[in-house]
Amino acid sequence: MTFSLSAGNAKRIEELVRRYPTKEAALLPVLHILQREKGYISPEAEEWVAATLDLPPLRVREVLSFYTLLRRKPAGKYVIQVCRNISCFLAGSEDIIRHLESRLGIKAGETTADGKYTLLAVECLGNCDHAPCLMINDDDHGPVSEDTVDAILKGLP
Amino acid sequence: MISIQVDGRALQVPPGTTVLKAAEQMGIVIPRFCYHPAFEPEGSCRMCLVEIEGLPKLDLACSTVVREGMKIWTSTPKVIEARKDVLAFLLADHPLDCPICDKAGECFLQDYYDKHGRYASRFSEVKEKKRKKIPIGKGLLLDRERCVLCTRCVRFLRRVTGTGELGVFERGVKAEIGIGEGMAIRNNYSGNLVDICPVGAITDGDFRFKTRAWFLEKGRTVCPRCSRGCNIVIHAVRGYPLPGRQRRIYRIVPAENPEVNGYWICDFGRYGYHDIEDNRLTTIVLRTDGRPEEKTSDWKDVITGLAADIKKTVENGRSSRMAVVLNGYLTNEELAACRRIFVDTLGLRNIFFADPKPGEADGILLTADRAPNGRGAAALGFSPTLPEPESPPGSTDLLIVFGLHLLEHLPAEKAAAWFKQAGKTYLLAATSSVLDRAADVVLPTALPAEKKGSYTNIAGLTQSFECAVPAPRGSLPEAEILARLAAELGVELG
Amino acid sequence: MTGIPATLIPTGEDSFRLEAYLGRGGYEAARTVLLTKKPQEVMEEVKKANLRGRGGAGFPAGSKWAFVPQAGDLPKYLCVNADEGEPGTFKDRVIMTRDPHLLLEGIVLASYAVGIHTAFIYIRAEYESIARRLEAAIDEAREKGFLGAGIFGSGFDLEVLVHRGAGSYICGEETALLESIEGKRGWPRLKPPFPASVGLFRRPTVINNVETIANVPLIFRYGAEWFAGRGLPRDGGTRLFGVSGAVQKPGLYELPVGTPLRTIIYDWAGGPAAGQGIKAVVPGGLSAPFLTPGELDIPMDYESLARARSMLGSAGIIVIGDRTPIIDILRIVARFYAHESCGQCTPCRIGTTWISKIADRIGAGGGAPDDLDLIRHLAQGMKGKTLCPMGDAAALPVLSIVEKFGKELGETISRGAERR
Repeated sequence: MTFSLSAGNAKRIEELVRRYPTKEAALLPVLHILQREKGYISPEAEEWVAATLDLPPLRVREVLSFYTLLRRKPAGKYVIQVCRNISCFLAGSEDIIRHLESRLGIKAGETTADGKYTLLAVECLGNCDHAPCLMINDDDHGPVSEDTVDAILKGLP
Repeated sequence: MISIQVDGRALQVPPGTTVLKAAEQMGIVIPRFCYHPAFEPEGSCRMCLVEIEGLPKLDLACSTVVREGMKIWTSTPKVIEARKDVLAFLLADHPLDCPICDKAGECFLQDYYDKHGRYASRFSEVKEKKRKKIPIGKGLLLDRERCVLCTRCVRFLRRVTGTGELGVFERGVKAEIGIGEGMAIRNNYSGNLVDICPVGAITDGDFRFKTRAWFLEKGRTVCPRCSRGCNIVIHAVRGYPLPGRQRRIYRIVPAENPEVNGYWICDFGRYGYHDIEDNRLTTIVLRTDGRPEEKTSDWKDVITGLAADIKKTVENGRSSRMAVVLNGYLTNEELAACRRIFVDTLGLRNIFFADPKPGEADGILLTADRAPNGRGAAALGFSPTLPEPESPPGSTDLLIVFGLHLLEHLPAEKAAAWFKQAGKTYLLAATSSVLDRAADVVLPTALPAEKKGSYTNIAGLTQSFECAVPAPRGSLPEAEILARLAAELGVELG
Repeated sequence: MTGIPATLIPTGEDSFRLEAYLGRGGYEAARTVLLTKKPQEVMEEVKKANLRGRGGAGFPAGSKWAFVPQAGDLPKYLCVNADEGEPGTFKDRVIMTRDPHLLLEGIVLASYAVGIHTAFIYIRAEYESIARRLEAAIDEAREKGFLGAGIFGSGFDLEVLVHRGAGSYICGEETALLESIEGKRGWPRLKPPFPASVGLFRRPTVINNVETIANVPLIFRYGAEWFAGRGLPRDGGTRLFGVSGAVQKPGLYELPVGTPLRTIIYDWAGGPAAGQGIKAVVPGGLSAPFLTPGELDIPMDYESLARARSMLGSAGIIVIGDRTPIIDILRIVARFYAHESCGQCTPCRIGTTWISKIADRIGAGGGAPDDLDLIRHLAQGMKGKTLCPMGDAAALPVLSIVEKFGKELGETISRGAERR
């Protein structure tokens, strides 16, 4: 099974690689582009990245396994990251997490069977004055309550 | 030179010396896991922390470079405490595998706990569980629970072999060593991984569960499997496991020699100890026409007989009727004796060499030339010519063959036939082969590990070695055979 | 939201746009400097301003720049640390969201001072929308000739690249950040050598926090004396204090260096949340040792907090109310460092998880009488002995909790034992 990328992204990657003094330095940006298009980094994608950047495939795997936001398995259409650090905890993040777990029928760390939502309990998102806060894909939300969370989910396309 | 103090004693060292190396000069071994002299300091195990007067925190001995007037303290209460802490951290998740772990007896964790630990464990949580028997290639097994993440193995494969089969995956306490997807270690230096692993995380299938490190006796010698002359140590046990058995060799490890092999040996040399063990000849075999085969251990008669055969053959200028086949496994001393006897005294011209066929050099240690003393032979004036299968010219009345490497150049039947063609044949060999059946006299010899002597390697360096393991009873080194022969022939070996 | 006339954080929906920035006098300072001043003068001015790093360590910025060897023509790099992973810290988010061009102008000035022609903004992946805003701002600036080749018609070239992280707190540590930009795992490097001589791609590199760089245009817009005068001797300018947790008005407050903690919490952030008193305060991001209610009169500057055995760090203030069991705080702190430990060195790799397991066990009612002493012992085993400062970050707050709230923790342990 050959791995192929959209023409636009293939071009973006080409330009990107040129901007760094070493091909290896383009690894994280390239992985981000791949993950945005495919939803996760498959073994075939790893091989492709390794070949494109002249890296041993093992290195790609080493990097993938270190960073928590790089996924080796598909995630839901909406990745919900709820902060569980101090300020958000003090504002009730545990209730939010429990509420989402029960609403979505999954535990934090899991993806719903229909592939729509992934729920993650994460560390500080850097939005502490809007605690309790969460992110859905690239969007910040906070402060949230159980009600506002329900409304946000409902309003997702 | 820089003047420093280590534990109150003055010392002078060249600029650029690290604290660890300076302490070593004083005979102080600072404990370490990740540091290995072959690599740049890594600084991750934190075991080598020492106290440097005037500095607020403990510093790494492996990477701190000495400065003029530096006062280093290697055993203050702070240092002792820090070492206990590192051990406590490493042992927290370490499995209780000592009873079944091959590394027991030579394990850094055990040794350091004994010397620097001796604290009461306070760990009462659930240990991290990891996979324990991961094949990584060439019979090596990785045990992630035992691993202390010193990363020596990863660095070895990246910097020495350049093959990079191992990497570090995941993060934090879940960090683990792993083999690349679909990869296996196949390079010629895999055995070194077992040596450099400070604990039993990487173990060798060749050695697994066979013995215990504390039973092993060590003998240093030079590896004879190519012309590099790597320094090795043979680990054997006398009389174990079976009493009456003279010895058994369990493994070969490198001996450090910066001029020759650095810290490593190749797998071809390392696992070559099976040659030393298997199919050894231990009795003299005599075959005379018409008489049944005779086995004896009486060297005196045989050597007297050989001397007589030699005298008979070469008298009246018939030295062309005698041929000798030597090899590059003979030590310089043995080859010198051959020269004195066969060239200087007997004036033989039919002197040939049968050596192992050249192989592929691996670009690191293993050379294409697979004989250990080709240079030594050349230095003594020999030139390695193979005997022609149809020769010797004319007929040979007396053929003396040292070693079995003819078999690498001739098909077995041809070699045997050649033996049969000649008048009387003497075979000096260590292991049995088809040629035993073909020769008239078979004299069991010792292998290089069982001899003392010297080899000259590919770089022209002559290295002397002592006998590393006892030879099987009944066999003799060629040096001894030649000395006795010389005595019978009245030749002064000098 | 600010305590003094707005300098760092502008208001207005479109404050981030280039026209708005130009309207505030943006890029004028950079233009003047690039066309009329020498790099060495820029460095001296920044030194005079007493600008200290605002990422946590507080090292004087001008001095850090001066460590970069000027001889030779190896490329040099500037890395702006926008990783902002320290819990309780959100100031850089606000700067980059509301005033990306202030940061870019700062980058131009800093790069000019040191002789750098390529700058990376290392931004945490979670700040994706901010990264896009920065990239758009860079495009705006390039178009106008404020970035790229021959800025303002001078001979100075500068390219700025936005480089996203991928979810790792340790990549906010300067050498781990370099490793991450180079495409590797975020394992910090041994120092020496220091990044000023051997940094990104082994070249001389300056690493500065977003807020540090964002202050630089102000130094040149209003003068080093002005800047120095706004703070304390040896610590110029204002700080962006982020206040969160159990307070009435969480938010970002720009105040002079040395403002007392009590003033920030009560006068600006409205005091503790309704119905609660204060149990504990984190003064400088989670890696700073906790303070008790009796320590609130501390001036928020580096020296005062160091004397109190804490630190100013990222000036992220978290107020913990007295309705919160301290064991929950201990659990969360320990869990955070265990999750973020990179795993490279022994004490942090094992110690953080070990402490986290003990804290969880206590929280679940399974605490033993000597657990607090054990936690103390383990934290001491990490303190000052790790490869990078995260060992201290993991150890010191935990030590402060165990030392200052030992009584409450002891009671939690006893209650758990009674129930067993």
